[in-house]
Amino acid sequence: MKITEALKILQAATSRPADLTYQVLLICGFTPLHLGTFLAAHLQQRLADRKVSVSTGLYGNVAGTLESLKEVQIQAVALALEWQDLDPRLGFRSAGEWGPSALADILNVARTMLDRMAAAIGNAPAGVPVACSLPTLPLPPMFHTPGWQMAEAELELERVLLEFAAQCSRRQGFSLVNRQRLAEESPAAARFDFKSDLATGLPYTVPHADRVGAAIAPLLAPAAAKKGLITDLDDTLWHGLVGEIGPENVTWDLASHHHLHGLYQKLLAAFSEEGVLVGIASKNDPAIAGQAFARPDMLLPMERVFPVEVHWSAKSGSVERILRTWNIGAESVVFVDDSPMELAEVAAAHPGIECIPFPADDSAAGYPLLRRLRDLFGKPRLAGEDAIRLESIRQGAAFQNVAHEGASAEAFLRQAEATITLDFDPTSSDPRTLELVNKTNQFNLNGVRYTEAEWSGRLARPGALLLAASYRDKFGPLGKIAVIEGQQESGTLRIGTWVMSCRAFARRIEHQCLKALFERSGAGKMVFDFVPTAKNGPLREFLESMAGAIVDGPVELARARFEAACPPLYHGIEETQTSRETWTQSQPA
Amino acid sequence: MDPIATRLSNCFQTVFPNLPEREIPAARQSSVAAWDSTAAIMLVNVIEDEFGIQVDFDRLAELDSFESICQYLKEGQAAGGADGSAA
Repeated sequence: MKITEALKILQAATSRPADLTYQVLLICGFTPLHLGTFLAAHLQQRLADRKVSVSTGLYGNVAGTLESLKEVQIQAVALALEWQDLDPRLGFRSAGEWGPSALADILNVARTMLDRMAAAIGNAPAGVPVACSLPTLPLPPMFHTPGWQMAEAELELERVLLEFAAQCSRRQGFSLVNRQRLAEESPAAARFDFKSDLATGLPYTVPHADRVGAAIAPLLAPAAAKKGLITDLDDTLWHGLVGEIGPENVTWDLASHHHLHGLYQKLLAAFSEEGVLVGIASKNDPAIAGQAFARPDMLLPMERVFPVEVHWSAKSGSVERILRTWNIGAESVVFVDDSPMELAEVAAAHPGIECIPFPADDSAAGYPLLRRLRDLFGKPRLAGEDAIRLESIRQGAAFQNVAHEGASAEAFLRQAEATITLDFDPTSSDPRTLELVNKTNQFNLNGVRYTEAEWSGRLARPGALLLAASYRDKFGPLGKIAVIEGQQESGTLRIGTWVMSCRAFARRIEHQCLKALFERSGAGKMVFDFVPTAKNGPLREFLESMAGAIVDGPVELARARFEAACPPLYHGIEETQTSRETWTQSQPA
Repeated sequence: MDPIATRLSNCFQTVFPNLPEREIPAARQSSVAAWDSTAAIMLVNVIEDEFGIQVDFDRLAELDSFESICQYLKEGQAAGGADGSAA
């Protein structure tokens, strides 16, 4: 990005309402001019519905600024460290001594400063994410070794820096720029502007400031990770056409020079373990393909894949059925196939799906493919729900099949042995709650996304009420699948946020949640801040079924009306310990 | 306004969006409140983007008005600079 483009992006956003401002504090020890501009512009591109504002801390006082975080109103922190922030003598603008006699003291000061920063980051306000870029510029030629040899003191500095980074990474909401990726984007030799550093205190070249800003922005405003990957088999998951050469002759190993397919299998297995849904769409004989999957050297176990669509019909139809089983939109899914024709057919039938060719005949292109897939599916951290997602989808399909085959939906729900666990604790720090709010599309009251700070702010309002619900039945657990957030004002409960995972549909969990809220709050009515979006038809339909009227905006639901419209509920109800304690403490004596 | 002055005026509008267009030709660092030392650096970088040149930091102090910058760019063009000014 050029500086002119960055300024124009920011100017175009100046008219956005002030209440939608995303306030970021940029902390760095040098003049933050270009870095601040580029960071703001890259964030602005990612937060199209907000106005990004980047303020800066005190020049040369990184630790002090970090220690004052509780005193400022911000929604995120961007920390761009350079070596001189650990000790000014590690930069070029200090007159401090460089010789061997100073090194021990410099190391001590660096350790102390990093300890101070780590403590300040640990004490930063909850809900305020901190994104950090570790030093990117070269150390001065202050060590006794020639430049091509690492000095012991340099290694010691790296060690204390990495210990600091590892310590900070344990804080929820702390994230680090990947230094290797940054080095690819901004080569070391093109980063430092020595003349500018001495003349103006701007050590970054303009392109490097752009790259550092671009590296920090996705840490603070990450794109939604893809949820599912549908893969072809022949010349994609393995090398060769299994129907022609037989299941024993398809390959994916080093010896056959087709290890890229093995790496792809390993990556998909890892994805599955991380909660990514992996399905198969292949034109093949299912029995023969199944024999290849049964081979003991297969790196992607069959039980990690669901659903499997192996037949001779069009792949667009296979993708359609897989999406329906997963109950997610095409825009959340990646389709990988070696055939350009199949990719085009699926892309035409499912707008929004990301179609990626597998480079079956070009192993050199395999590395970019593996990295691209990791970038599309990578997530900042793993939640407990990630580990059970595939199983819950599989069991959800079994649930639907049994429901369709069995006598009646009513009888089926009665026999499902379902239990809903309620958590009314608004101080819960479980990141899954906000994650669910920010990634759910279909059963979503209004589509509003929140930053961690905004979410904390809503829960801190007088009368704020939060309900997080987890679900399990005899088919297995679904984990935390619903979140309702609102504010109680006398006899009315105003619901501002309501999301429920699509995996949890058709179980009357939404009815049970409203019942629990009416009972817990004692409210006589609820007002839902419903806003129609392109995808939230399921929630609209539910509200219409409850209200008995067309819903196209905020809607009111009286308790008596709800009770009259609510079908029989068969769930067992549990409440978390913290939820019960929160309720007890919040009751008047 | 000649082509260089027009392109330079666009640079001023990018860096000083609140400065009325008609006041740009007479703009001086001493008369534009927003034209502080950091804005001066930003302006130079925007000019570098626009004209595809590198402005020497040592000449930053003398580039303190629309007119002086315009003159600098025209001299560079006459001397055969990449896209309008001396490198």
